[in-house]
This record gives sequence, structure tokens and C-alpha cells, in this order.
Amino acid sequence: MVDFLQALVDGVMLGATYSLLGLGFTLIFGVLRRLNLAFGPTILVGIYAGSHVGLAWPGALWAVVAATVVAAILCGIYVERCSFRALARQAPVVSMISTFAVWMQLQELVSLFEASRTMPYPSPAWLPALTVGPILLRSDALLMWSGATAIMLALFVLLYRTRFGTAVRAVADSSEAAALMGVNVSIIGAAAFLLASTVGGLAGVLIAQSQQQVTPYFGLWATVKGLTAMLLGGAGSLPGAVAGGVILGVVETQTLWHFGGQWRDLASFALLFLVIALSPRARSEPTL
Amino acid sequence: MSDYAVSLLVRIGVEAFVALSAYLLLVIGRVSFGQQAFFVIGGYAAGIATALYGAPLAVGIMVGAVAAGVAGALLSAVMAPVGGIYFAAGSLAFGELVRVALLSFHYQVPVGADLTGPAGADGFRGVRALFTGGVSATAFMLAVAGLVALTFLAIALLLRSRWGEAMRMVGEDETASASLGVRVRRVAALTMAGAGALAGLGGGLFVHYATYMEPGHSDVMLGVHSLAYAFIGGLGTPLGPIIGVALDIGLLESFRFLAGYRMIVFGGLVMGLLVVRPRGLLDEVAVHRLSRLVAWGRR
Amino acid sequence: MLEVRDVVTSYGMIQALRGVSLTAREGEVTCILGPNGAGKTTLLYTIAGILRPRSGSISFQGRELAGTSAPDVVGRGISLVPENRLVFPHMTVRENLFAGAYVRLGRDRAGVEADLDAMFARFPILKQRAGQAAGTLSGGEQQMLAVARALMARPRLLMMDEPSLGLAPLVVEQIFQIVQGLNREGITVLLVEQNARLALSIAHHAYLLEQGRIAFHGTPSEVSANEGISRAYLGIKGG
Repeated sequence: MVDFLQALVDGVMLGATYSLLGLGFTLIFGVLRRLNLAFGPTILVGIYAGSHVGLAWPGALWAVVAATVVAAILCGIYVERCSFRALARQAPVVSMISTFAVWMQLQELVSLFEASRTMPYPSPAWLPALTVGPILLRSDALLMWSGATAIMLALFVLLYRTRFGTAVRAVADSSEAAALMGVNVSIIGAAAFLLASTVGGLAGVLIAQSQQQVTPYFGLWATVKGLTAMLLGGAGSLPGAVAGGVILGVVETQTLWHFGGQWRDLASFALLFLVIALSPRARSEPTL
Repeated sequence: MSDYAVSLLVRIGVEAFVALSAYLLLVIGRVSFGQQAFFVIGGYAAGIATALYGAPLAVGIMVGAVAAGVAGALLSAVMAPVGGIYFAAGSLAFGELVRVALLSFHYQVPVGADLTGPAGADGFRGVRALFTGGVSATAFMLAVAGLVALTFLAIALLLRSRWGEAMRMVGEDETASASLGVRVRRVAALTMAGAGALAGLGGGLFVHYATYMEPGHSDVMLGVHSLAYAFIGGLGTPLGPIIGVALDIGLLESFRFLAGYRMIVFGGLVMGLLVVRPRGLLDEVAVHRLSRLVAWGRR
Repeated sequence: MLEVRDVVTSYGMIQALRGVSLTAREGEVTCILGPNGAGKTTLLYTIAGILRPRSGSISFQGRELAGTSAPDVVGRGISLVPENRLVFPHMTVRENLFAGAYVRLGRDRAGVEADLDAMFARFPILKQRAGQAAGTLSGGEQQMLAVARALMARPRLLMMDEPSLGLAPLVVEQIFQIVQGLNREGITVLLVEQNARLALSIAHHAYLLEQGRIAFHGTPSEVSANEGISRAYLGIKGG
């Protein structure tokens, strides 16, 4: 029972970052109706940039955060230009293929600069761990959860309480009607992309400080987590992405506790697969 | 012919099967990021048949193709009605599922003095039927090339047949083709099985040439590359994916000065091409023009 | 108020508008009749700045409009209630109305809030449904929402594309009463409508658009007096 609770708490904390990844995915997919599979790799580049800055200036945590987010945003702009704006007139599937081409490039870019396959990432070591009854709250996990929750709150205020947010959600709901209301659809698309990259970069900081290291495999990992969180929540729903991320996190940590490490990834892929197999929406959606 | 040239040609041939497999699914309007799974399933099954149970090389490769085809048919039970991004995401999940599952797949039996067979993360080593059978690398390369040519012809004929017409209709608009009497789910299921078998054929050939296969061969990048090959070479003809493979492996890989930058160049090439020719070099229009040119030449 | 002169708009190779000229006078209801595919929606989208005309001019209150982007057109006082209503289905009724005021949401928050109350007073049903997702509304309620949403931008010219489409006769009557009421309050209306009899009943001036050209124009009584037109669009009885 304690094991179950501990895994549940760990899962919620981990899931909060998956929610962030899912929100990034949803922002782009909701507004542009196109899938950005290079989302994970853009964050990967951000984390590597942060890692290098951390090695060059040990202790300058803010610089690490800034480098991570800025690099992720720069990569996001690159993806938006090459795979979305340049292909706006083509079928959505063409954009999706193009984002995979960018993925290859970003992955190679990272390996050009890496000193070793596994790079260290600094974390604030001064934070204490908490124990609540029998449950242990690790400091890095707590930071992950509180950081992700704060970012999500800020994001939801931005999306549900501001003029910009109204425009973003209007475009996601019906871009034609939004244009008739005087919303500049292409600018909102680019802005949503930037916002998603920022959220992704921040999620990257939170995840990397918890794992304290990063491998090139992170790109695929983040894309799969974000995609799963988004699809679990019903593709395009912002609150759905949050819920999807938490469910994914809990399923992973429960599998980890009860079955062991090698089953964890299997469980998350199986979950994504099951959602698609069982979702009525997947069956009704026409091909891209 | 140098050993390097032979190995390059074998690789082109092997990946051509995975590229054609992805192409078949594109014809019915499905983007798959998971064809690498069938490549590995085919490779493991073929290796088990020859290395563990002593099947002849040709039979082993057939077993691999059939096993991957069956896997494709099983997957289609779930995925045949699914389209769009859901199919793409589902195939990605399936590919990774197979890779992760193979990491803990152990199936070893004593062959001679050693234990042979899939050994989890260490992969499946000691698939030596090619060498014990005394087949030279050049002969094997020629056999692979012949198989690619045969497969190309078979797909070209298929696409011209009534079946191919149905596949293209499903790719254009499922609702419309269903209203015209096309059994959409059956077309999708059979295409998925066929695509699985093609990738599995490639896997069976590869495992015997390389003598080993490991879970890492189910890397999503293989699946993505095979998709990209179709988009480079062109969606208008099954020759497109083969040209795509030849361009990437034959051209880019042989430019040694690109070492370390190959993916950046290749990715950039694909990106640029998608802007200029979103359906590849030999798209439907180009194929139509070429065939008219040929017909005019014959006159 | 609105002057359209020799406007040509094409989709790729196809010319949808082949030199259309019309005038919508201030304070009047101008209606555009015509068969499916005549280019009526294309004309409204061209005025709204969603489509760009290949040639010709559109002037609004004496200033050129052709080539202006959609946000600027809305800002200058022209709103479109699109065909099939196009409400934001997953946003609430209240959020839909806020979205309608998008162009002035940044600088006039208080005015927008006041207009929101005014809309709820004019359309009590929308107030009842304020927190409900717009996609769950009935067709007539969605049409009212679409009108109210367009009004939130404080337009001087309201363009309406087939407001009666798919609605029950009683609801259609209600919508047309609303349109007439808005016009009496001083809003100029440009109306595209299949239901010619109903449209002519509230219009001051009518245009007939056929195959991308204006085939006829005049007052409603002149339209009714024309035997060919009344046979084609009003039924034989009208002739």
C-alpha cells in the first residue's frame, strides 16, 4: 500500500512534466492542425546547450536555464520556418515528414558538439527532501512538480484570460471564423509555436535537473511522452493534455515499482498503442 | 567489384525493401513510422529458422517474410480502421514496443557446442547460413538485386490492377471509396500484411549478410528514413523509393567528407525537396509525362 | 457607403467573380440573390479581406479597401456572419462573444464588457447559455450567437451569408426580424440569401449575381416585376 502510494506520488510529480510536453504538442497541433515530431529534439538541443553552459560556468544555474530555453526557442523557430511556414500550402503529412527531417539534423547537431554520449546537467543540490508520513518527496521531483504546475498555471492564465489566449483558442477551434473576427491567423500560428517551444524548453530544464544527465535518446523520448500525453487527453484539448501527462506518469511509476525498470518503457508505449487502438476518435478521423 | 561496393549495394537492396514497405502504406494514405519493427521481426524469424533449426537459406528468408507478414496482419486488426496522425503515432508506438520487447526476448538453444539465439539486449548473433552454405558476397548481392527488381515489378503490376486501383482510392478518400463499394478495411489489412512481409524480407536478407541482428535495428530512424526515401524518389511510382535509397546510401554515404554531417545534409535535402516537390522527384505528374514520352518514342 | 467596382477574384485558374460592381447605401438593407456557385460567398469573402481581388476596387466610406487584410477590414467596421455560422464549437458562448470583439479587446475592455451585457439583453437565450460550449447550441441559437459575435466588433456594415440555411421557418422569421431591427438602429446590411422572397421583404435594393457577374439590379418591386427573375427565384406565383 505504501509502495502504491509512493509510486502514485512519484507518478504525479513525473507526470506534471509530461503534461508540459503534452501542452507543447497540443498548442502546435491545435493551432496549426499539424504534428511537430521534432518537438522532442528541439528540447534535446536546448538541454545540450544548457549542459555545455553548466560545464563552462559551474554554479551559474540561471545561465543554464536561459541557455536551455533560448536554444529550444531558436530550434523551434527553425522548425516553424522550414517545416510549417514553407509548407503551409501542402498537405499536413508533408509537414510531419519535414519535421522528421529536422529531427535528423538536430540529432546530428547534438552529436557534433557532444563530448560524450551522456552529458551531465546541473541541478540545485541545496533543496531538501521532504518526508510526509511514510512517503518520501525527493527534492528534484518536488521541483519538477512545482515548476511544472507553476508553468501550467501561467500558461492557462495566458490562454484563458488574455486577448492573445482568446485568439489562440479561436484559431484552434476554427481558423476560418477566427480570421473573420480579425485575428491574424499566421501570426498567431507562429506565436503558438514560440510559446510551445518555450514551454518545451522549461519542461526540458525540469526533467534534465531531475535526471542530472542527458543522452541523444532524449529527443525521441520527449516526443513520445508529449505525443502520448496529448493523444491520451484527446488530441487538441489543453486540460486533456494535462490529465494525459499525469496518467502516463502514474502508469510508468506504478509499472516501475511493481514490475521493474525494463517494463517501464514497454508500459508507456503499450499505453499509447492502446489509446489509439481503443479511441473512437482515432477511428473516425480521416487520413491527413 | 570491391568488397565495399558489394556491401553498399546489399545495403541499398535491403533498405529498398523497407522503403517499398513504407511506400505501399503511403499508397493507401497511411504514414507509418514503424516499418522497422517488421524488418527486425523478419530478421529474427529468418535467423531462428536457419541458425537454430537448420533451415536452408531460402526457406529461412521466406519464414522471415511470412512471420513479418503475419505480424502485419495481426497489427491491422487494430490499426486498419485508424488513419491520419493516429496511424502515424500508433505505428511509432508499435515500432518502439517491438524494440523494447526484444530487449528482454531470450530464446537460445544449443547448436553444436554453443548456445545460439536471441539474447535480449545482446541481440541475435551467429546467423551464419550464408557462409556455411558457401554463398559468395557477390552472388548474394546479385540475388538481393534480383529480388528487389522482382518486387518492383510485382508492385508495379499490382498498382495497375484492380487491386491497385482500390488501394489508391482508399488513399485518396476512404469514405468516397467505401461508398463506391471498396472494402476499405480489407484493403488496408491486406496492404499492411504485404508491407510487413516486404520489410520482413529485407530483415531476413540483412540478418544473413550481417550474421547478426539486435533490438537497436528497430531504431525509429530506419522507419523514418524509409518514409523519407519514398518522399525523395517520388510517390508516383514504386521506383521512387528505390531511387531514394540509392541516392542516400549510394551518394551521400560515399561522400566521405560528409562524415559527421551526413544527417544534417540528408535532412536538409529532404526538407528542401519537400518545399519544391512535395511528392518527390518522380511524382504522379512526372510519371505521367515520362510515360507519354516513352509512348511517343515508341510510335 | 460600400462601393464595389469591377472586382475580379479567382481561385487558381477559375474566375469566381468576373467584374462585379455593386453599391450598398448607408442605412439600407442590400441583398444579393443568385444560384449556388454564382460567387456570392466569394464576393463577401473578398470584401472581408479573406480573399484578395485580382483587379477592381472596393471602397468603404470613401476609402479604398481592396487588398486590405482581414483584421484591418474588421477594424474599419465591416463584420461578416459566415455561412453555416462557424461558431467556435469548443469555446463557451461568452468566449465566442469576446472573440468577436477581438480587434478592440486590447484597448477597450470596459466597452467590450458593456457590449457583452447589451448582447445578453438583446438575446436573452445567449445569456442562459453563456457558460455552455457553442457547439452544443441549436442551429437557431448558433445563428443568433454568430450575429451577436459579429456585432461585438461594433460594425457599421454587417454582411450576412445565408442566415436562413438549415433553420426551421419559425426561427428564420425570428432571425430576419433581428436583422430588420438592427437595420432600423442604423446598421447597414449586405445580405446574401437563397430565400429570395424573404430577403426582398426586408431589402431596399437587390442585386442578382449569376456566374460571377451582376445580371440585374433594382428595388424589390422591380425585381418582382421582372418576369424571368421572379419565375426563377420567387416561383411562378410572383410573376
